Amino acid sequence: QVSVLYFARSAELAGLRCEALSVPREITSLQLWEEIVKVHPRLAVIRDQVVFAVRQEYVLLGDQLLVLQPGDEVAIIPPISGG
Amino acid sequence: MEESKDVPKDFIKLKSEKLSVDEVSELVVSPYCGAVSLFIGTTRNNFEGRKVIHLEYEAYTSMAETEIQKICRDVRQKWPSVKHIAVHHRLGVVPITEASVIIAVSSPHRAESLEAVMYCINTLKASVPIWKKEIYEHEYSWKENKECFWANSEK
Repeated sequence: QVSVLYFARSAELAGLRCEALSVPREITSLQLWEEIVKVHPRLAVIRDQVVFAVRQEYVLLGDQLLVLQPGDEVAIIPPISGG
Repeated sequence: MEESKDVPKDFIKLKSEKLSVDEVSELVVSPYCGAVSLFIGTTRNNFEGRKVIHLEYEAYTSMAETEIQKICRDVRQKWPSVKHIAVHHRLGVVPITEASVIIAVSSPHRAESLEAVMYCINTLKASVPIWKKEIYEHEYSWKENKECFWANSEK
């Protein structure tokens, strides 16, 4: 079980900021996205504009294999606008 | 002169209260430095003809602080003479003309602190997980920095 964090537009589309999600220990970042979209289909519209932050490191949606530990933070990161 | 008491420090803060230029510049002042350079990011009152009422910022706080720490580390590698670095970013509602971000850097001579401040704000906009929402009269818009490589600015 990982902790999924939602920010900005993704939090608005999902309707929440944080939830626990059960996912396979080894999964590609794209597969992880698809698992999340199953729970929150409205997120599909931002698929081309987000990246993940897994254990606070940026990860693109794609073939990158993630090895997840229980309690890991996975954040959905829409385009940033700090500063 | 003992320089060990003036160890280079990074001052990073994300807060919802009004930012203070005096406070941030005082953090980096050092008797060994002849230059303090500052950047202040403020809120404009219009965007593409629409009136901006105010801005709202949110952050992935723990990661934002870590990313800003990485920026400070990079600054010290590129400009080893830089003494202190302060980055204060406001979260929550920011009214028009108030500061959203203040960056201050001190160094013995001016070139390094001026360049380091520019590097800090440019890199912050490209890598720190903070989001800005512009509130207009009847709608709002999540902004996207052009520096953000995963934004589709051409669409």
